Parts: sequence; C-alpha cells; structure tokens
Amino acid sequence: MVGGFRWAAMFPDEVWEHVFSFLPADADRNAAALVCRAWYRIEQRSRWRVFVGNCYAVEPAAAVRRFPEVRAAAIKGKPHFADFNLVPSDWGGGAEAWVEAMAEGWPHLEELRLKRMVVSDDCLELIARCFKNFKVLSLVSCEGFSTAGLAAIAANCRNLRELNLHENEVEDNCLHWMSHFPESFTSLVTLNIACLEGEVNVYVLERLIGRCPNLKTLRLNHSVPIQRLVGLLHRAPQLVDLGTGKFAAQHHPELFSTLESAIAGCKNLKSLSGFWEAGPTYLPAIYSVMDLIEDDGLIAVAASCKLLQELRVFPSDPYGAAQPISLTEHGLVAISAGCPMLHSVLYFCRQMTNSALLTVAKNCPNFTCFRLCIMEPHTPDYITRQPLDAGFSAIVESCKHLRRLSLSGLLTDLVFKSIGASANCLEMLSVAFAGDGDAGLHYILSGCKNLRKLEIRDCPFGDQPLLDNAAKLETMRSLWMSSCSVTLGACRQLARKMPLLNVEVINERKRGLPLELQPDNCPVEKLYIYRTVAGPRSDTPSCVWILR
Amino acid sequence: MELELGLALPGSDRTPELGVHGEKRASLCRKRGVDEMLGKATLPLFIRKDNDEDGDDDSRQSKHLQELNFSGSRVLVGWPPVKMWRRKSDDCGRRRANCVKVNMEGVAIGRKVDLCLHDSYQALFLTLGQMFPKKQHDGEESDAAYYKVTYEDEDGDWMLVGDVPWELSVLKHKHKKAK
Repeated sequence: MVGGFRWAAMFPDEVWEHVFSFLPADADRNAAALVCRAWYRIEQRSRWRVFVGNCYAVEPAAAVRRFPEVRAAAIKGKPHFADFNLVPSDWGGGAEAWVEAMAEGWPHLEELRLKRMVVSDDCLELIARCFKNFKVLSLVSCEGFSTAGLAAIAANCRNLRELNLHENEVEDNCLHWMSHFPESFTSLVTLNIACLEGEVNVYVLERLIGRCPNLKTLRLNHSVPIQRLVGLLHRAPQLVDLGTGKFAAQHHPELFSTLESAIAGCKNLKSLSGFWEAGPTYLPAIYSVMDLIEDDGLIAVAASCKLLQELRVFPSDPYGAAQPISLTEHGLVAISAGCPMLHSVLYFCRQMTNSALLTVAKNCPNFTCFRLCIMEPHTPDYITRQPLDAGFSAIVESCKHLRRLSLSGLLTDLVFKSIGASANCLEMLSVAFAGDGDAGLHYILSGCKNLRKLEIRDCPFGDQPLLDNAAKLETMRSLWMSSCSVTLGACRQLARKMPLLNVEVINERKRGLPLELQPDNCPVEKLYIYRTVAGPRSDTPSCVWILR
Repeated sequence: MELELGLALPGSDRTPELGVHGEKRASLCRKRGVDEMLGKATLPLFIRKDNDEDGDDDSRQSKHLQELNFSGSRVLVGWPPVKMWRRKSDDCGRRRANCVKVNMEGVAIGRKVDLCLHDSYQALFLTLGQMFPKKQHDGEESDAAYYKVTYEDEDGDWMLVGDVPWELSVLKHKHKKAK
C-alpha cells in the first residue's frame, strides 16, 4: 500500500456528503469521520442532526464547534429518576448554557428538543429571537418557564411547525399567549398543549387552527369544553392525531354524540387520546388512554385491538390501600396472547407469577420495552411464593431485541445473572428493591454489552462491583444508585481511577462534616456517575459533590 | 410497645418501618375489621423523621425521606414510580373529585363517575344511561329507569341505590354495579 493515496480525491466533496447522508446512525458517521482528515471534514460539515443524551457529557461550545452546520438538536438533562422526586430539585440540567452556545454557533438551527431540563423564559426568548428559521420546539418533562416565554415563541417564530409541550411544569402568567401568533402565521403542523394548566382562549385557538391547513396533531388541555371542541374539529378535518384534555364527558353526556360525529368527520384520524369514556371503536387507535381498566377490559382489548403496539397501564390509586381492583397478571397475559404487534409494555399491578411471565415471554418474543411494576416491593410469585427470577429470566432470554427493562417484585442475584448473560441488546435497565448482594450488580456490569443507562434504588449493591467494573462505566451514558450500600471511599477511588467520569455524590442532609472531610466508610445516599469530556460541571448545588 | 405518636388517619395500619435491605416492607393498609372500628384503635400522631440525629449512620439502613400521601399514611419517596405530573393530572382538576367505578353486567370496560358533579339520583342515572351501551329490549330503547343500580356497602352487601338520601349516599358509595 503506497502512502499518500488520497481517498477523498476520488470524488468531489458533495458526492461524499451524499454518500454519508445514507448512513443511518451517528455511530456510522463517527466511524466514517475516522477514516481520513478529508472525510472527517466533509462529514463534520454535513452533520446536521445531533443528539446529546446527557447535557453534561460535553461542553456546549465544543459541540457547536465540532458540528458547525447543525439544524436539529436534541438534549437531555436530569437523570430519569428525577421523574420520581429522587433527584434534588436544584440538581442542575439548566438549558441556558446550551441555548446561548447554540444561538452563537448555530444561527440556522431549526429544531430543538429538550427533555428533563430547566428552561427559563429567557431561554425561550433567546430561541425566539436568534433562530430565524426556527421550526420545531419540543419540551418534554421540563420546568422553569411560563406562558410568557411561550408568548415570545408565538410572536417571533414565523415558520414554527411544531410546538410540543409534553408533561412540563409551566407557570401560567400570560393568559393570552396564544394571541401572540400573528394573523399571518399559518405553518403549524403539531400543537400539543396538554400539560398547560391554565385556561386557553378558545376563540383564539379556533382562529389559529382555522388558518393552519397543515395541522395534523392537536393535543389540548382541560380548558376546551366539548361544545367548543366540536367547532375546532370542524375547522381541522385533516387532523391525524387528536388529544383532548382531561374533561369529564359526564358533564354533558348529550353532547357526546355530537362530538363523535365531529370526530367521524376527520377522515384521516388515526390516533385518539384523552379521557374517553367510550372511544369510537371504528378508529384504529394506535395509542389511546382508557380510564379505569381491569383484567376484563384488557381481555376485551386483546380480543379487538389486533394492531396494538404499545400498552401502558397505570395505577388508578397508587398510594391508596390495596383496593379490590381486578387488574392482575391475567390482563397482561391476555394482551400478550391477543396482540401480536405488541412491542412495548408498561404495566403496574399488585400481583404476578413466574408462570404468567413465562407465558408472556413465549407469546411476545418481539418486545423492545418491558416495564413491570409490582406495586409492593419484594412481592414474590403469589402462588408459589418464589422470587420472580424465573419469570424475568424468561423475558430476557426470549426477547432478543429487548432494549429497555424495568424489574420489580422479589428478585435474587439469579435474575441478574440471566440478564447479564442474555440481554445483549439491552440499553436501559431499572432496578428497585432487588438482589442479594454485590454479585447482582457485577453480573450486570460484566455482561449487557450494550448497556447505556443503569438506574438502581434500594438494592444491597456495594463498592466491589463498581470498582471491578470501572471501565464498563465509561462505555455507558450514566449510572444512578440511591439507597444502596456504596461508600464514599469507593467513589473516591473510582473518581481517581477514571478521569473521564464525573462521580457525583448527592447528599441532601447537610449535617456533620462536609463531604471532603468525611471518612471513606461514610455511606453514600445517592450516586450519579456519567461519562464526560467536559470535566466537572460548574453549576452544582450545595448538595452535590463531584469527586476528583 | 413504647408509645408511638404519628400523624395518620384512624385505620391506617401502616407500621412505621424503615426498610433494611431484604426486609419485608410494612404491608399495605387493610380494611378495618369491626372490632377495630368499635375498639381501641390507637391514633398515631408522630411522623418518624430520619433518625440521623442519633448519629448512627454506619448501618445498612436505607433512610428514606418520608412524604405523606393523600390519606396521610407514609410512603416511600418516588414509589411506585409514577410521575408527579401524572399524579397531579389524576386529581380531576383541583377540586376533590368523588369518583366511583361503575360496572355493567355484560360490559367489559367499566366507567368512572364523579359523584360531585351530580346533585341527585336522577342526574346520576341519566349519566349512567348515557355512558353505557343501550340495551335493546323488545325493540324499544331503554331509558334510565330500566337499570337497576346497586352498590356495595361497608358490610359487603349489595344495596339498591336510591334508598338513602342523596347527600348521605355520596359520602359512602365506593363501588357501584348497574344491571
């Protein structure tokens, strides 16, 4: 092989760019970028979509420099367990640093998707002012902003196609924010305001919808009464996805049939969500929310919804006493038998058996996501009184494409042995109240070759498996451990050994000595470890220590 | 047993147990038996805070920050793993809803009715009539009067709805069945 042969010179840059555009995954583009300097340069210039799974994994300015032509960015902030109040509210995840860097370096940015971040009104105003061709704003599980910030977006983003607000905490201080969309604004395709608690001016909404002929997705909040919903639907017969707020159909049951015919007028409607008493059964609803379902209901769903792909069953009364609700393993088994296209399940219940899980595993080898939450910790198989190791093992052994798994119930280290050995596609694992000791964690960290996110609470896992598998942690996005048996000494060792990890120790109690002076055997309440090229972050609150 | 003071509603039997790994958690509230109702139910008044004041932190005790659920009994933080946001949205808005589950014989999917939105049995029956599929009986559409609505009272007996004055019944009804 003669040195100096320049591959890149075979074709003009534009041809290589076109070739790279067929690479589906960023990992492939990364690999191409390593071939030679020319390919690195060409690939760099033509990457226009970036995904930052952890906002602290890289400095915003570095990301902007690395890929200067980005048009679409997605960034995630807080760890997943923040959803369940396990992460202190001032932990971090602020969006300012990113928005400022992007405003500076990506003025042509069109799409921004943020998840679990703290987004201020200032951020929204900056977005509204700086990105002239801004098209998509998606905020999921975020907080820190108000409807005043939304008013700025409405007023300035002339080409906005998508405003997706999903499960955010939004302060309602600007009642007429929607009026800030100018009359000339007609580009909306997706509007999701389901999480807004305040009233929405339905006249303004009607006019907005009426002048946006491309509107496909509309998800409203509770403040739109049924009568007005009918009017909205008449103005948007082209809708594909409709979500209503959580209004009670029983208020005006006589109007319900009017609503049903209005919905029938939307010939393209494929998806319906909201608080429905009796959803129209002629729609092939891909995702629909039903209220108060039990085993019998699930059996009915299994018999009729043959196209069902994703099922989520939440507890109606998570904190109440175990009431006589008949939602058991039978419902899950029925669904698994009746719905061949099912690939994603989130199921809360109070009882389970290994036998049921074995049946589910046999019926559904195509699961990509299986999250089972048995509400009472340490619950065994209620018939055999055995741990549920066999059941979950069957799931991971049968579902070869499983990417996400949440465990619950009484579990020993054996289940982790199976997971470590069989779950080759697993990317995210959630564990609570499970395992016997260090071996459990060791099985996971030494197996699961595609593991990216591991979150653990209330398990008897200690220092040794972390220290023995330190290198593994650098191949993952993050590890969360709370109420386990990890000591400060192990965290210090880990931090010293692995400079590319941020080892964050979270101690909310603030009593006694500061963490630097605590002895090695001091137990760690909460631990968050993530790989990063940015070094320790500078916005830690007082309850978070980053060990070096 | 030493005197234990706690803040909880009468009848919440949750024994305050800080979890040690592997140990069984306190069992969920069970329904009060008759003798508890009549007898000497102790009223716990004290919420046991984290015992870090004692200074012992070398044990493997998991110290959970306690929070109260709606009925005042203790829960683990963040368990079950349901988003705060979803919990809030289940409150049927900010007012306290008095939701009751209704099943009809032969219909798989039950309905939920908010009793607070109705001021009389007539209103309730009208709503129920709208919610459930109409039964064809001799070719004519049935009206609300056709249904027999029953509820299960504290003793587990099925009683006909309508016997007790509406105001009183709203407080008691937990579970209804329509035939």
